[in-house]
Amino acid sequence: GDRLNGFENGKTQLLCLCVRLQVVLKIIKHYQEEGQGSEVVQGVLLGLVVEDRLEITNCFPFPQHTEDDVDFDEVQYQMEMMRSLRHVNIDHLHVGWYQSTYYGSFVSRALLDSQFSYQHAIEESVVLIYDPIKTAQGSLCLKAYRLTPKLMEICKEKDFSPEALKKACIGYEHMLEEVPIVIKNSHLINVLLLDLQEKSTVADKHELLNLSSSNHLEKSLQLLMDRVDGMSQEIVKYNTYCRNLTKQQQQKQQYLQRRQQENTQRQSRGEPPLPEEDINKMFKPPQAPPRMDTLLIAGQVNNYCQNIKAFTSQNLGKLFMAEALQGHSS
Amino acid sequence: MSRFFATGSDSESEESSSADEITPKATGTTFSKHIVCCPLRFRFEELTNIIKTIRNAMKIRDMSKCLEEFEQLYRAFLKSKTIVDKEGVPQFYIRLLADLEDYLNQLWEDKEGKKKMNKNNAKALSTLRQKIRKYNKDFETEIVSYKEVLNCSPNVISSSSKSDDDEDVTAKSLMKKKPQEEEKKAPEASKFLKGESESEEDEESEDWGSDSVDSGGESEDNEGAAASLAVVFLKKYVYGDKQPERKKDDRRKRHKKMEQVDEEADEEGEGEEGGWEKVKGGVPLVKEKPKMFAKGTEINNAVVIKKLNEILQARGKKGTDRSAQIELFHALAGISNENNLGEGILVKIKFNIIASLYDYNTNLAAFMKAEMWKKCLECIDELLDILFENSNIFIGENIAEDSENLAISDQPFRVRGCILTLVERMDEEFTKIMQNTDPHSQEYVDNLKDEGRVCGIIDRLLQYLESKGSTEEVCRVYLRRIMHTYYKFDYKAHRRSLGLQGETKSEQDQEESEGEDSAIIMDRLCKFIYAKDRTDRIRTCAILCHIYHHALHSRWYQARDLMLMSHLQDNIQHADPPVQILYNRTMVQLGICAFRQGMIKDAHNALLDIQSSGRAKELLGQGLLMRNMQERNAEQEKIEKRRQVPFHMHINLELLECVYLVSAMLLEIPYMAAHEFDARRRMISKQFHHQLRVGERQPLLGPPESMREHVVAASKAMKMGDWRTCHSFIINEKMNSKVWDLFPETQRVREMLVRKIQEESLRTYLFTYSSVYDSISMATLSEMFELELPTVHSIISKMIINEELMASLDQPTQTVVMHRTEPTSLQNMTLQLAEKLGGLVENNERVFDLKQGVYGGYFNRGTRTRPRNLIKDHFQIKINCGYQQRQNYQRGGYRNQNQSSY
Repeated sequence: GDRLNGFENGKTQLLCLCVRLQVVLKIIKHYQEEGQGSEVVQGVLLGLVVEDRLEITNCFPFPQHTEDDVDFDEVQYQMEMMRSLRHVNIDHLHVGWYQSTYYGSFVSRALLDSQFSYQHAIEESVVLIYDPIKTAQGSLCLKAYRLTPKLMEICKEKDFSPEALKKACIGYEHMLEEVPIVIKNSHLINVLLLDLQEKSTVADKHELLNLSSSNHLEKSLQLLMDRVDGMSQEIVKYNTYCRNLTKQQQQKQQYLQRRQQENTQRQSRGEPPLPEEDINKMFKPPQAPPRMDTLLIAGQVNNYCQNIKAFTSQNLGKLFMAEALQGHSS
Repeated sequence: MSRFFATGSDSESEESSSADEITPKATGTTFSKHIVCCPLRFRFEELTNIIKTIRNAMKIRDMSKCLEEFEQLYRAFLKSKTIVDKEGVPQFYIRLLADLEDYLNQLWEDKEGKKKMNKNNAKALSTLRQKIRKYNKDFETEIVSYKEVLNCSPNVISSSSKSDDDEDVTAKSLMKKKPQEEEKKAPEASKFLKGESESEEDEESEDWGSDSVDSGGESEDNEGAAASLAVVFLKKYVYGDKQPERKKDDRRKRHKKMEQVDEEADEEGEGEEGGWEKVKGGVPLVKEKPKMFAKGTEINNAVVIKKLNEILQARGKKGTDRSAQIELFHALAGISNENNLGEGILVKIKFNIIASLYDYNTNLAAFMKAEMWKKCLECIDELLDILFENSNIFIGENIAEDSENLAISDQPFRVRGCILTLVERMDEEFTKIMQNTDPHSQEYVDNLKDEGRVCGIIDRLLQYLESKGSTEEVCRVYLRRIMHTYYKFDYKAHRRSLGLQGETKSEQDQEESEGEDSAIIMDRLCKFIYAKDRTDRIRTCAILCHIYHHALHSRWYQARDLMLMSHLQDNIQHADPPVQILYNRTMVQLGICAFRQGMIKDAHNALLDIQSSGRAKELLGQGLLMRNMQERNAEQEKIEKRRQVPFHMHINLELLECVYLVSAMLLEIPYMAAHEFDARRRMISKQFHHQLRVGERQPLLGPPESMREHVVAASKAMKMGDWRTCHSFIINEKMNSKVWDLFPETQRVREMLVRKIQEESLRTYLFTYSSVYDSISMATLSEMFELELPTVHSIISKMIINEELMASLDQPTQTVVMHRTEPTSLQNMTLQLAEKLGGLVENNERVFDLKQGVYGGYFNRGTRTRPRNLIKDHFQIKINCGYQQRQNYQRGGYRNQNQSSY
């Protein structure tokens, strides 16, 4: 019932995302157990919509499976899983999915496609992005995204030509919308946490003060560079297309002019004009390269830049702090 | 041939049955006869065939066909000119001409018929008529006489006209004209002479039969048959009163035949009786053994030369038994020797023997058989013997056939022929034999033993030509000598230079070592060629061989200087393929030489071109690459096969590749370490990188097996600065047996290599790990790399001077102090990113430029009013920043900038 209340008319915005600590811990655990390096782990989010907020109360991972198991049916597995969860009286409504990320790289075609299919089927679904690296540096990084209605429109049309994108007025900024996350716990858990905080040593808490930066930056730069290369390629592709198009336009113009001249000559001689031919058949416009990838790359580049910016400003602060400390001590 | 033999035996049986006095003579000459007769027969056959076609065309009034065939006939007749000159114009030819003219005239007169003719035919008729009129003028007398005969013996005509018209030879004409027909004629004629009427009758009826059938089905001996038929008529009509005359005629015929066959007529003089005399002598003969001369003939120069020419005429003709020809020459040589005809003639015959030995194989690709080859060598040796013994023989290509002087006289002998060409050809044959022998067989070794003889012959020829030949010839023979010398390593000289000479094992060794050093010989020969040669090719080859020889003997500087002085690198691509192959071989040898001398860079540069193509095998002429037929058809493949270098001259390809890869490793690994972060660093050697990549792709890395794997493993060790492992990969049992032991001075090369590995590992180590050190003691480095302190010092100094290493030397403590001004990897990366962004912006600009004019632009959406320049300027600044930084960095100024800012 609740579920229908909020999203029946599709107008209500999803304002907030309540995530249970259990879910967060499960995701982290999943990554720690199965994800390594740039490998990505994924899973299903379960929960329900309450008024204008989406509560995520549970989750389960997609099992890792190699390409060798052809028999493995993911959908079947999910259905089984949800049925089982229902038996033990846990929320079994599918409200999205989660995914780990490597240095903030997640804006990709794969994500777009699957999120689109989720959002298309279940309107309120979100994708949770968990960044284990940032988390390891001391601050939990968990973000929730949804595709903007504009992007949904475009994806529904499946028309990624330059014209369509231009008409839709969509830029990389307007592709994803972030949904604020609130982590909600039961009081008992809060109490436990406070208790744990008391007990933990100082060293455990101060990951945040780590001064080393170059490794992280290098990795980010490498990834950024890779994307910039991709962007360059896309642009070159587009450029060639534009040039071809212009060339053809000129040819077309010339042809038309010649035709016209000839026709006027013929007219003056009293002959019937030349039959109209299908110009579009003669000058087939070149295939326009899809621009969606460019948008995605731009989004990703933006993402990297944001990350780097956040990281560096944080680190600068730390460095100043360290300097001040050193000055103070010496 | 079998036909001839058949006829020959025919006449033999005839002869034995009759035991007459005339026939044996014919048999005595059978063998040499068919050699001579063959072309005659062949030509006449051709003529008669064409004539037959013409007559057929005449019958159906096909004038264009007639014309066509007539032209062909004319050409065929011209071809057989030599024979015609000797034999007189053949009767049937005249007959045809006369008939054809008559026929054409008749047609011409026939206005009605002409009108009916189609256009082509009419045209052909007029042309043909004109042609034949003109042509017949040359044969006027013959035609007239033929027509006379025609008129005065109407009987014959009437009878023969019943038979086919093309076979009507009149009796008179036969009598008047000497018979052109060949061997078949003789026994038949003799038959008639003997008056064996039964067989005669048989013949007659047979002939009639065959004649009356048609001309179409008749073979080439039609004419012969016709002739005998004519004789039959003759006999019938003119028997009695004309008999003696005919007898005489026959005698003359026979004599004529002798002329054809033995060509003795000249010396015998005009006397017909001479023929008779000869006949008596030639009775007992063995069929198989060809008889040169009739017994009793005085064998002198002229006779022998006649005979020689006669044999020569058969040369190159179809159906000539080439081995028999060689036999004949040998026999002739024997005869002339027996009769002491002098060396002149002997030399002449020897020339011909060798030439015919070369001719034995008609196919250019095929090589000489072993026995032929042996014979050839012997022959050339003998020829040279004669030439050395008799200094009064002049030989040369330029001596005309008729100014030869072969007879013994006061004058020196003059013989046409070129011994140099023969020896060159022999050398080529030798190469061909070596190319076609399996290099891994005992046969190859056996064949290779002949190389000594070949060299011996060339040496002797060289001596001979040095005293007698022209400069050009000397150059040519010198080049041959050089070609047999340049690729051989002079172990004697090598040993001597090492001071190991003296206690050689046997006397033979001693003896051998007394010869000149090959270096000296090469030097002498090449310098002569440089000075005297006027053909560019010989000089080019000589230079290349000289360089090769220098390089082979580790005289690197001489070799290099000669290569640079010759400027061959600039224009070698215009040379012919064999020279290019030689050039490639030389370059490779030069590279290997440089490597042995420790000039790694030079070695790499010299080998780069050959190795980078991946077709070293082909470029060196050491084997064909597998390619499909599209790229190379069978013909090209044959040509390429002919260019291959014989196996014993091959350069070991594995050695070549190993030398190249090791050189590349010594250059590339430090370079890679030095430019680890440089985005636009260039590969020094693609080949080497390829090998590295192949090595990386291995899923499971076992201990190296092949030479390449060894080098790759060594490279990996060197990358880490681990020279000991690198050393153990490059120099070990396997590599020794595969590569290093192939060098003559293997120990020295290995020592050089170890040293190079140590040095380059040190450099790599410093490049890779300098950022980790604040300072490092040179003593430690010297210990690590087992190099002396001064060497370490010099290497580091060099690196500092070249701005490869940002450090300074602290003398008192003997340490290297790092400046740490190299951009860190993060900085490097940032620079790279800046560069990439620059590129991106540039590309973007281009899109923008395009859009701007036509559509208004993708970026302009919404901000159409925004001045474009502003955006551009904005980007421009960014780009400039990127470039600035990059340029600075490249110049090495980045570090200075940083320094000043610190």
